[in-house]
Amino acid sequence: MKSIFPLFMLPVAAITCPAYGIQYLSVEQAQMALYPSASQFTENFLELNESQRDAIESISDIRQRWKTQKAWKAYENGAFKGWFIIDKVIGKHEFITYALALSPSGEVISIEIMDYRETYGGEVNEADWRKNFIGANKQSPLELEEDIPNISGATLSCRNVTNGVKRLLALYEVMLKP
Amino acid sequence: MNKTHLLSATLLSALAYLPTAQAGENLLGYTKGAEPLPKGALELYQIFTQRSDKGQGTYDAIDSTTELEYGFSNRFSGSAAIIGHSVETKGLIIGGYLPQEKSLGLTLSGIEAQLKYSFLTPALNDIGLSASFGIDYDTIDQHSGQDKDTLSANLGLQLQKYFMDGQLVWLGNADLETTHATRDPIEGIDDEEEWPTKPEMEVGIGISTGLSYRFAPNWSIGAEAIYETEYETEVGQERWSLFAGPSLHYGNKHFWSTLTVLGQLSGGGETYENQSDTNLHLIEKTKQEVKFKLGYNF
Repeated sequence: MKSIFPLFMLPVAAITCPAYGIQYLSVEQAQMALYPSASQFTENFLELNESQRDAIESISDIRQRWKTQKAWKAYENGAFKGWFIIDKVIGKHEFITYALALSPSGEVISIEIMDYRETYGGEVNEADWRKNFIGANKQSPLELEEDIPNISGATLSCRNVTNGVKRLLALYEVMLKP
Repeated sequence: MNKTHLLSATLLSALAYLPTAQAGENLLGYTKGAEPLPKGALELYQIFTQRSDKGQGTYDAIDSTTELEYGFSNRFSGSAAIIGHSVETKGLIIGGYLPQEKSLGLTLSGIEAQLKYSFLTPALNDIGLSASFGIDYDTIDQHSGQDKDTLSANLGLQLQKYFMDGQLVWLGNADLETTHATRDPIEGIDDEEEWPTKPEMEVGIGISTGLSYRFAPNWSIGAEAIYETEYETEVGQERWSLFAGPSLHYGNKHFWSTLTVLGQLSGGGETYENQSDTNLHLIEKTKQEVKFKLGYNF
């Protein structure tokens, strides 16, 4: 048979598309999306010691990976409206960055995906999926395919975002609850 | 229509009408994952495997697989591939396997098709489990570069387990392959010992396991070990080998690639005359294999 080496190289040439990611929201944009009527955000980064991280893991059964959790207090005309927390969880290739709004009493107001760079599962940024978290609190099961639907092709991302919210609700109990 | 045209037409038909395929993103070179390709997803893979060093003379071979995989449902995928080989062998003659020196450029030689069904998803269940069934037809002997018609059917099981939120991944595979092969006669070689032309049946079993750890966004390192054995009609257990080695994987939204280098740690079965290292199987295997994979997500 005739050698067709150049033909074999065609797919290699095709696989030269440069990679890029989608940053949906900056911190300021996420703050305005979650607290559209807020007039002020006060930085309140949380430094977690080992026993606090253990307590979070004990409540949520999810490892608290970060020693520092970026959090802000949202105010509207001087009134405290809730917490704005940025978190990162593992996706299939990269970290997924999301922001969570928690009410002063520890219920999820809403969630925004800030950065998602995975091959499949862009639906995590759609309101239909994110709305499943609204109203969740420490009593909520937050289990994939129970109260949170799965997105095929992005199961790991869905699971880790869901677990991330569960962990932040535990963080609220340990660090933020008045 | 000559043989080349017939094969090309078959391949094009297979690619056009049988969008069946393999296993999505590969963290390791040889051990596959159990994650299903989502419904409607289409991925293209190009895989090169270099096999080199039989301990005597010069031996260098490259296998190429160009494959398309399509997700029929969120659990069921299929793939079709065209395969080819190049073989460069000098200074080593092995009766029945390497009958003469050969220099064959990379040549289209066969097709593969595979179906895969995922029973358990690793990110959703405690462990992922999938099964695959594939057939392949090849017209070139990948060891010698000589003409040889080979029809194989393989059945595989893939296990996958996530640890540390998916940062650490364990993979395990078990494969069973049956092969029917007939060598074409070689002009000037009439001795059946040197180059048997009677049809033969082989059964191969493969078990592999490996770990992959993501050490930075997009980047993973891994290691795997592969045990393979093969039984043949004439000689019973013909060979066994144990390979192991590291992998480096990069993956992002659009494409991924994996580079794996394996060395043969141990092997047995048949040996060739005057083989110096009898602790390795060097007739059908080599001392080293390097696999490079590229995947593109449409």
